[in-house]
Amino acid sequence: MAANFWASSHCKKLLDADEVGHVLPADQERGLTPEDVKLIKIHLSTYIKLLAQNTKVRQRVVATAIAYFRRVYTRKSFSEFDPRLVAPTCLYLASKAEESTVQAKLLVFYMKKILSEEKGFRYEIKDVLEMEMRLLEALDFYLVIYHPYRPLIQLLQDAGLTDIIQTVWSIVNDSYRTDLILMYPPFMIALGCIYIACVIKDKETRGWFEELRVDMYVIKNIAMEILDFYENYRNIPEERINAAMAKLPQRS
Amino acid sequence: MVDPGNQRQRTRPAWLNQYELVGKIGEGTYGLVYLARSKLPHHRGVRIAIKKFKQSKEGDGVSPTAIREIMLLRECVHENIVKLVDVHINYGDMSLYLAFDYAEHDLYEIIRHHREKLSSPINQYTVKSLLWQILNGLNYLHSNWIIHRDLKPSNILVMGEGEEQGVVKIGDFGLARVHQAPLKPLCDNGVVVTIWYRAPELLLGAKHYTSAVDMWAVGCIFAELLTLKPLFQGIEDKNGPNPFQADQLEKIFKTLGHPTPDRWPTLLNLPFWQANRNFIQGKKYENPGLYSIVQQPAKSPAFDLLSKMLEYDPAKRISAAQALDHHYFRTEPLPGRNALVPGSPGEKAVGYPNRPVDYSTDFDGSTAPPQSNSNLAPLQQQQMQRNEHMMQVPQMHQQLHMQGMQRIPQNSNMGNYGVGNQQGRRKEPDSGNQNYSGYQLPNKSRRM
Repeated sequence: MAANFWASSHCKKLLDADEVGHVLPADQERGLTPEDVKLIKIHLSTYIKLLAQNTKVRQRVVATAIAYFRRVYTRKSFSEFDPRLVAPTCLYLASKAEESTVQAKLLVFYMKKILSEEKGFRYEIKDVLEMEMRLLEALDFYLVIYHPYRPLIQLLQDAGLTDIIQTVWSIVNDSYRTDLILMYPPFMIALGCIYIACVIKDKETRGWFEELRVDMYVIKNIAMEILDFYENYRNIPEERINAAMAKLPQRS
Repeated sequence: MVDPGNQRQRTRPAWLNQYELVGKIGEGTYGLVYLARSKLPHHRGVRIAIKKFKQSKEGDGVSPTAIREIMLLRECVHENIVKLVDVHINYGDMSLYLAFDYAEHDLYEIIRHHREKLSSPINQYTVKSLLWQILNGLNYLHSNWIIHRDLKPSNILVMGEGEEQGVVKIGDFGLARVHQAPLKPLCDNGVVVTIWYRAPELLLGAKHYTSAVDMWAVGCIFAELLTLKPLFQGIEDKNGPNPFQADQLEKIFKTLGHPTPDRWPTLLNLPFWQANRNFIQGKKYENPGLYSIVQQPAKSPAFDLLSKMLEYDPAKRISAAQALDHHYFRTEPLPGRNALVPGSPGEKAVGYPNRPVDYSTDFDGSTAPPQSNSNLAPLQQQQMQRNEHMMQVPQMHQQLHMQGMQRIPQNSNMGNYGVGNQQGRRKEPDSGNQNYSGYQLPNKSRRM
């Protein structure tokens, strides 16, 4: 439900590690590897963020859009659902779900502007509108997504660490470059991000974490996943992205 | 690769085979509502209300109203909230179909039946049970930070014959919103709540409002259940966006007396309170007469609860949770799950009329354009015959005046399954038409 994560569809639909990041059969046939899939998701998450900045929607809409995007690709192949159309449409749908609708016209304008150099990449308003419906179907009409931002603020206040809020906030933003939002309750992701920030900022918080009685093993796993992104995927060489994207069907 | 979109355009969507269409039961600005029966093996014959959302005209895809309704109802599981059973898409005309458990009655029709047909009040047990269930559903919504924003009698559905008979279902979430952390002020998407049920803080231009607006609406509905008449029937000013609703406020002040900054401190901050100083603060209604309107002793539990729902200051207005705890619900008759059974043994149950169905409508756009018309007629005739049979059975023993033939009051609003247009309060039926001497078969399309 809207205010109770534990009763929500988001909570009921949390996935295990082996249910995300896998390569669906149709994509395997096209030679896509798990690494390609990871790169494409990161690349398109960045694209969503860029479109959001141009259309002036806020971070929470971006976060919801990326969560939709990642959830869709646990079930649908890139070969069947072109991520270059799915990504902007996720932003379009998320903007409606988060009550800050972006006009399809405006979105398509920026889609063309940002990726005009890519060949065969010409999507029009009608494509976005049809994909919106296919997305709704692919998401099984579950649209409510919880994010770590709200628990983050409460947790930092509780820990007396409000001075590092900016650092943690950026780490939470970066956590959307991974599939974490599909796998863990948002407050656990928030804790993972706080954990990283405390290490960076040299804050002593062991006592506070112990009092929370959360599974530190899980928190560390979440932190490791984000650190892996920072170490290996923060600046992906363009040719690696292009090589992965080239395996997708080209639009005729 | 075959484009699935194009492929779908040429064929009937497969999901249509799950349903047997009965007819149209409502029409609103964003689409139609149909009554159908499920053909799925484990639900065979179960009645379903299907709300069709047309693609928005502005070229902006699925209407935000549909998105809101899907988003919230997909998460809601509560006995007093309408159940969204399924969602379907027709790629042929890019429309969306929301399938709900069908509710035979709504408070608009129940109240109207008492006012115009029976000329007798709704029994106390029924009023209390209906109110308790409305509050129970609302408490669930509010504790999950959802404000309904459009509560009115036609959106309060009541289940007909069957296992859930007499159970209230709050419907139509097209305006509902999560208010926990809005990205934009809540006033942003236009004025909400049908004017008669609109809380005074909204009428006075409040920018941020709370679940208390729903409680005001419940208060108005409670009074209407008691008196069979809308409590504050103001005339809506339709000039411009969010105009000052002078007449509606006047009606409220006349009944409840003037609000004062004493009792409602934040009143001074409301835009229209300042701007319309002369109008609002010029006259003074000194003698509030709510109890004489609702004909309840001023010290009765019912009146006490009602006046707490109609508290001016939204911060002091009773919440759904508090209302459920009110002693009104702990005095006889106690509320029950089936609101439509007689209040006491020996009393006869009221037979409410079934929702009128227009049998001449098809799920439009769902069949292939060239063949559809030729196929339609025989299919519909079959349906008509089947439905006549179906409708007669329950009606015969329910109601004396509904004999034999399926009849639809000429002037009835096609049983609103909560699809009214967003601002659209339903008009009162013409006063000259109250005896319904002229039952007629449906021959015109009906609009609400």
